[in-house]
Amino acid sequence: CVKMDVVPTNKFTDETYWTSEDKANSVLNMAYRQMFSSDYIFANEILSDNVYNGYGSTNEKLIATGVADASNGRFQADWKACYEGIKTCHTFLANVDRVTAMSAEKREQRKAEIRFIRASLYLQLATWYGDVPHFTEDITLEQSKTITRKPQAEVLAWVHQELEAVSSILPSKEQYAAADNGRITSGATIALNARAYLWENNWQKVIENCEKLMGNTFGSYDLFGNYEQLFWAQNEYNSEIILSSQYVLPLRVWGNLVDYAPISAGARLCLAGPTQGLVDSYLMKDGRRWTAADAPYANRDPRLNATIVYDGSQWKDRSGVEYTIITHPDGTTAPGKPSDKYTGAGTAQTPTGYYYRKYADPAPGTYVSGGWNSSLNLPIIRFADVLLMYAEAKNELNQMNSGVWDQTIKKLRQRAGFDNVPAAMNLPTGSQAELREVIRNERRVELALEGLRVYDIRRWRTAETVLTQGFRGAKFDKSSGTYDYIKLPGGNFSRSRDYLWAIPRSERIQNPNLTQNPGY
Amino acid sequence: GSFAQQVSLTEKRVGLEQVFREIKRQTDYDIFYNLDMLQQTQPISISVRNAPVRQVLDICFRNQPLSYYIEGKTIIIRQKPAATTLTGAASRQTSVSGRVTDQAGSALPGISIRVKGSTNGSVTDAEGRFRITAATGSVLVFTSIGYQSKEVTFSGQPELNVQLEEDRQALNDVVVVGYGTQRKASVVGAVDQVRAAQIEDRPVGNVMQALQGTAPSLVIQQRSMNPNDNTMNINLRGISTFGNNSPLLVIDGIINEDVGAMNNLNPNDIESVSILKDAGSAAIYGSRSANGVILITTKKGKKGMKPTVRLSALAGSQNPEILVKPLKGYQNALLRNDSYVNSGANPIYSSEQIRQFATGDSEYFLKGILKNGFQQNHNISVQGGSDNSTYLVSLGYYDQRSNFKGPDFGLRRYNLRTNLTTDIGKLKLSAIMWYDRNDGKSFQGDNGFLIANSSRLPVYNNYVLKGENGRYYNNDVLTNGNPLMDLEQGGFIQQNNDHFQGSLNAEIEIFKGLKARGIASLDLRPENRLIRRFYHPLYNLSGDETPVNIQNSAQYSIEDYNGKSTLLNLQALLDYNRSFGKHNVYGLAAFSNESYRQRRFELRQQLVDPVLGIPTTGTIFDKTSYNTVGGTTERSIYSWFGRAGYNLADRYLFEANFRYDGSSKFARSNRWGFFPSVSLGWRLSEETFFRFWKDKLGDLKIRGSYGQLGNQAVDDYQTFTTYDIYQDQYGFNNVSLPGTGYTFGNPDLKWETNTTFNIGADATFLSGKLTASFDYFRKNTKDILLTPQTPLVLGGAVPRANLGAMVNNGWELTLNYQLRHSDFVHNFGVNLADSWNKVTRFEGDEQISKSDEIERIIRVGLPLYSYFGYKRAGLFRNADEIKESALPIGVSPSPGDVKYVDRNGDGIIDDNDRFVLGHAFPRLTFGFNYDIQWKGFDLNMLWQGVGKRDMALRGETIEPFHGGYSFVMFEHQLDYWTPGNPDAYWPRLTSPGTASTSNNYGKGSDFNIFDASYIRLKNIQVGYTLPTAMSSKAGMRKVRLFVSGQNLLTISKNTFIDPESTEFGSSMNAGGANSARNYPLLKYIGAGLDIEF
Repeated sequence: CVKMDVVPTNKFTDETYWTSEDKANSVLNMAYRQMFSSDYIFANEILSDNVYNGYGSTNEKLIATGVADASNGRFQADWKACYEGIKTCHTFLANVDRVTAMSAEKREQRKAEIRFIRASLYLQLATWYGDVPHFTEDITLEQSKTITRKPQAEVLAWVHQELEAVSSILPSKEQYAAADNGRITSGATIALNARAYLWENNWQKVIENCEKLMGNTFGSYDLFGNYEQLFWAQNEYNSEIILSSQYVLPLRVWGNLVDYAPISAGARLCLAGPTQGLVDSYLMKDGRRWTAADAPYANRDPRLNATIVYDGSQWKDRSGVEYTIITHPDGTTAPGKPSDKYTGAGTAQTPTGYYYRKYADPAPGTYVSGGWNSSLNLPIIRFADVLLMYAEAKNELNQMNSGVWDQTIKKLRQRAGFDNVPAAMNLPTGSQAELREVIRNERRVELALEGLRVYDIRRWRTAETVLTQGFRGAKFDKSSGTYDYIKLPGGNFSRSRDYLWAIPRSERIQNPNLTQNPGY
Repeated sequence: GSFAQQVSLTEKRVGLEQVFREIKRQTDYDIFYNLDMLQQTQPISISVRNAPVRQVLDICFRNQPLSYYIEGKTIIIRQKPAATTLTGAASRQTSVSGRVTDQAGSALPGISIRVKGSTNGSVTDAEGRFRITAATGSVLVFTSIGYQSKEVTFSGQPELNVQLEEDRQALNDVVVVGYGTQRKASVVGAVDQVRAAQIEDRPVGNVMQALQGTAPSLVIQQRSMNPNDNTMNINLRGISTFGNNSPLLVIDGIINEDVGAMNNLNPNDIESVSILKDAGSAAIYGSRSANGVILITTKKGKKGMKPTVRLSALAGSQNPEILVKPLKGYQNALLRNDSYVNSGANPIYSSEQIRQFATGDSEYFLKGILKNGFQQNHNISVQGGSDNSTYLVSLGYYDQRSNFKGPDFGLRRYNLRTNLTTDIGKLKLSAIMWYDRNDGKSFQGDNGFLIANSSRLPVYNNYVLKGENGRYYNNDVLTNGNPLMDLEQGGFIQQNNDHFQGSLNAEIEIFKGLKARGIASLDLRPENRLIRRFYHPLYNLSGDETPVNIQNSAQYSIEDYNGKSTLLNLQALLDYNRSFGKHNVYGLAAFSNESYRQRRFELRQQLVDPVLGIPTTGTIFDKTSYNTVGGTTERSIYSWFGRAGYNLADRYLFEANFRYDGSSKFARSNRWGFFPSVSLGWRLSEETFFRFWKDKLGDLKIRGSYGQLGNQAVDDYQTFTTYDIYQDQYGFNNVSLPGTGYTFGNPDLKWETNTTFNIGADATFLSGKLTASFDYFRKNTKDILLTPQTPLVLGGAVPRANLGAMVNNGWELTLNYQLRHSDFVHNFGVNLADSWNKVTRFEGDEQISKSDEIERIIRVGLPLYSYFGYKRAGLFRNADEIKESALPIGVSPSPGDVKYVDRNGDGIIDDNDRFVLGHAFPRLTFGFNYDIQWKGFDLNMLWQGVGKRDMALRGETIEPFHGGYSFVMFEHQLDYWTPGNPDAYWPRLTSPGTASTSNNYGKGSDFNIFDASYIRLKNIQVGYTLPTAMSSKAGMRKVRLFVSGQNLLTISKNTFIDPESTEFGSSMNAGGANSARNYPLLKYIGAGLDIEF
């Protein structure tokens, strides 16, 4: 007979868990995992004007077109994910001192890592939802039903304060052992803080923090020499990466490209394709803006080819064989390859005539056996972003000059491979407003498809324009008799409502103290 | 039960019937007599103590016109063969002999035969034969307990064969109840009984299918007809808890872990199924009885029975029926173009392409992956017994082929059973050995996606599943798969599950009326599952030589699962049953332990050798694999239980039951729970003032019960806060690391308690030809175990707690009627039931869960998981109407788009405008069976249905060109809005992803709600039994041939969907919304043969 007192054999109980450093680290690892998801890096582009979601209709598309209500799945999922991560952080902070077999110094460092993660989660929450419930230790069920929203500014002030506090505890990337590659560094705390200030348009603070990084006081960072290969697994942990989400073969992998890469490269379908608007934002290699008189893709900023697959792009398959990708409806698909051609906006093929190339490392070893499950670390903050933040902040404070330009935009264009001509390299003449457009355009192309554009169009308050004017795809539409741009419907992004997400409806049912954002 | 062969009795001036009842109660003799005969007798007085039966009988028949004789354990009462035959007109008397059989043609021993109006009588022997002398023109009356008496006019022929009908409503029928049996007349609980005849010879896959429609309130929903995934819901008396609503299953006195275990049985081995519905009958099963109890008893041999061999064979075809009808290809293309043009986008297909589609359609892919499935079922059994032993040995084989094309998919089940009993003096021993094996081979992927990937395609002639060259092709709907390739080449899931159950039962009488019983049983389940998944090249129809899925060419994987579970059950029981004059007292006291232990391990590997599945270069061992340490579960229940009963003169009945259960699932302080019940019954028809009823109508009993039942269906180890380590959650420097998640436990967990009140009546009318039972119940469940709905801000990980309450009401009605005229015998059976539940307490007051666009609400005052959403106010007719109407945020509709009801009148359609839209649990469930016999022919049919149910559907079946994932439109969607069809049912066609489409199809409204009531001809059978004369020449006692059909006719409002389709499980648990991606409806046609010798 089985006795009445049984205990689980495959799980630790509270009595047996907090006994070793490894087990404590394991909780920390979970928090790292909860900090970022590759799904959001891709889905966030759909929230912007960089790509058009043609296949099916994602939550993000509903948000971008202004038809999302308080029960939208993304509103709920992000809220949930952030507070789940925060709970892991609080569980760690409340219990890690029970682990005696761990040096005090290591404990403090681990706590600082988890405080960074918690701050980054609150930063997400405050950015999407505005005022949010904010607490720094685990709350009870009763508290969760009465807690109120703290003003966004107060939450962000706390985020800044936390990031500043842990920046002095955490090692710089050089101080970490190689085995710790990928951990949160003091440099990452400064960079995230700069990003948090940027989202608040607090230019002075952006400058202060960027300067700390540009001055190499929190680890030394520099641009990596090759833009395309920056997103290849062989170059993980290069000098440009400040923080990246970690992936390891064969089981800690991400697979989103299977819905974005060219069909001929083994993708399942094209969930969303880059828009003509994004393609158009790439300059000519000599620094001029592209005009209709130019060939569609020749002599462009090389980052275009490194980021987007267009009609006539070369593609190297996993066996190293190069072929030409044809997306034009009248083109001829490379022999032996499935078609990548545009066949209409609601099909499994591209809705815009373009596919993704960024992150599509051609090395077979990056993937699990030929599929799209990738071990490439996904950058969260890279040094190029720091330079762009710095340039933007300087210009906003009317402090842009050739010194700042050469330190920032010029370096990015040099690295990108622009012609070494004044029109491409030198500070353009123009008003602050004209320069603003140049810098913003540079930011868009440099960081394209990295899930960051949505934050920019919201803080610039341009979402209400760029998301409503209708999207275009390549000149593949023949319904008028001659080829014209593919016309794709825009949305109804509401200035008074859609800059903040709705507090999830289910939350407000259970907690009457939670107010709703305007318009929902 | 175990009986001594001695009788103690003290009675003054008592009728013989009463004495016979005592003899039956105290011994294991059966007594055959008819009541008419007893009317000739005088009351007797008797006082004996431990007297042999013969002595008692001698006292009884002293100075009576009757005598008796004993054959085996059967006492047969007959007229004294006095000098009557010598009197009167002896010359006209002729001798007649013959054989009496039942409807199935089996011999009936012990039938008494009497010449009406005389005292002349006889009794059939063990082979049913008799001989009697009677005058031509006189009437012979054949009577026996358990059979309806029959009168035959004797025409002087030398041989007379008579068939007797079973008397289904006999009050002396024995009903199996918890830990014992009772006479039907004295049952005070709400108990339904299903008999073997309702189950045998039906082409069903398992017992649960066979029970559908046979008993009121036993609601069985067959969610999938896939033989490999026969998902069925089983509920008894509706929904009473948020948690587990499964009834408890007891087979031959042994409690099973899972109600699904009934499907391990061979349906042909079942003797009877008792369904215990109320607290009075179920409380003896204590902490697991809240949802009722299903007691299955298997067949046994009979003492003194000659070896009887029964063979049955069934074979037929299960034919899939596709309920949706895709449009013709060109028509589909035109309408798809319309949907884009209507949305301001460019058309998809050129006129050239449409012309091409119009040249002819390809086969619908859904049809292309299906085939007819062969089904066969063979049984052989041998039954019999000697004076002190009985035996039954049966073998069964069941084989149903899948309707999916592919390598030998389907299910085979093998059953072996031996049921033995023997008496060794005072000791009675019985042993049951039961072995079965289920061998299944099935599709290795998700069945829903398989159906979706074959039904979302229009019948365009450039979509090809498989070419003549054997190549499989992809297309722009399938992206990179092909359903036929996945079936035929993608691999398989192979399951080989053995199951053994053995139980030993010893019984001995300690002193008069008191018996001790011990039972030891072991249930052993070694289970094995092997999954293989293979790469197979998929080509583009353009003729490229490189497969489009070449990058997956290393994708071969293998998964192994092995598990073994044992359930050891020990029981010790004391049984008391004794009569003192008119007083009958009985009782039970018992102890039991059930110990369950499960050990499992699973190994999953990817990128293995294509042929052998062994590891090779690059093989990945999935770290979610686990060894037996990770796969061990143990639990234990200790129980004390008992019963006390008293009845006075078979008129006033009282019974009390209790069980005291301790479970390892709960922490020490909350471990033990006490579950009592009381029941009262009153047989009005036994009262002298109600004599008219007994005389004219039959029997009338009212009964009621009240008690508490428990539900401990909570996962193991829920009282502990646990940390789970998951592999490969993160990594540093390209080294993978584990991460930890946690589950908070709740040491305060305890049982759910269910208080049930039941009142019912059993009555017969028309001299017993019509019987009726009615029950009304009310169940109050409190302390329902649930994971509370908590704000997401809490971050998850909330333990389950006893936080909910529900009330559930309902009623049941059963009617049976028998009608005979000339050679016809008709039997009608109707059962009808309803239940309705209401949440009365829920932590957080309400919870709305959303799957895709379908919302379900738990709210105090509503039935559990009601559908929730917007209500349609028709389709917009013109721009003015749009201007004046409330709209959802961000939507600028056009005429033909859906208009919603602005419930609160605030001029905007938002969350506050939602309504309760319906309820998905079946109500007004019914079954109707009818059978008719005419000479050798028989016909029987079972209709089954649901009177009231709402179903929410979504996906391609509802929305043309659903979400851009589907390219197809079906005929049932053709009534869509156009300016020329402004009164359409469906909105105008719009392209996926547009605001109009999300307004029209994405909001979750009564557009998604469909009427799911139906009536279905579940089974129909036509048979012919060969005349005995013919079959006996071939050495057989009985030969019957029959044809049968299953699911041949369904009447429902929406013909594009199987009305049984549901996303909800037995406990109203839903994995997602119902996208109507069902395994096809199956219609069976077949034939069978029964032979007995």
